Amino acid sequence: MVKAYKQEHVYKHPWERVSAASWRKFADPENKRILSHILEVDTLNRKLDTDTGKLHTTRALTIHAPGPWFLHRIIGQDICHCVESTVVDGKSRSMQLTTKNITLKKFIEVEERIRYDPHPENPSAWTVCSQETSIRIKPLSALASMAEKVEQKCAEKFMQNSVKGREVMERICRYMEAESAPV
Amino acid sequence: MGLLKKKDSTSTRSSTSPCADLRTAYHNCFNKWYSEKFVKGQWDKEECVAEWNKYRECLSENLDGKILTRMLEVDSELNPTKQADSKESSR
Repeated sequence: MVKAYKQEHVYKHPWERVSAASWRKFADPENKRILSHILEVDTLNRKLDTDTGKLHTTRALTIHAPGPWFLHRIIGQDICHCVESTVVDGKSRSMQLTTKNITLKKFIEVEERIRYDPHPENPSAWTVCSQETSIRIKPLSALASMAEKVEQKCAEKFMQNSVKGREVMERICRYMEAESAPV
Repeated sequence: MGLLKKKDSTSTRSSTSPCADLRTAYHNCFNKWYSEKFVKGQWDKEECVAEWNKYRECLSENLDGKILTRMLEVDSELNPTKQADSKESSR
């Protein structure tokens, strides 16, 4: 059973600024209050391909995710670990992030894919963000009978968090825009 | 808490990572390089190498090995072509 959710958002900022803001999203101190569910972000690996201009990065996200009461009973903790794998193609100006959960992988797979590309109608000034979240409850798990409820809760949480994430991104973009404006 | 080998399993919201300072130093260097060089087409060489190495060393001393293994497994599912690379740099 898979549920997929798609969202699209246009940032009225150039791709360079939006992709830079994405890197800063979790660490920016002012915005940590909004994204308080993100506890730690560590970079595990990064590789720059100097020929193709592609930057590959792997990050570990530790998230505070209380979830439904029965999840807490089962796993005994409110912490969720995720892996975020990113490829930035400097030549084609495209950034793709894929985040998957590690915690409870046997029971549920949540995968979030985000793409940042220059907006087709205004490629030098606007950026289009496409986000797709898919939630899959593993069929033979003990949670199968509660699958619908878990899925629903996860989806709601993801939607809420992606709205917060967008708020933070917009804020950082505005800040960077102000920083780069000629005095 | 998080990725670290911790005896205390109660969750807290504050950052208690021993690598936090090195991480901040690396991320600051990375952000600067990304905005000022990478997006302007200057990707001819690796930068922030010193910061990265110090940070990585701290992580490899403090990361919970079990969680790291699972992370790298998922990462190699997401990126089958760079599997060899990941394994090599985790040593």
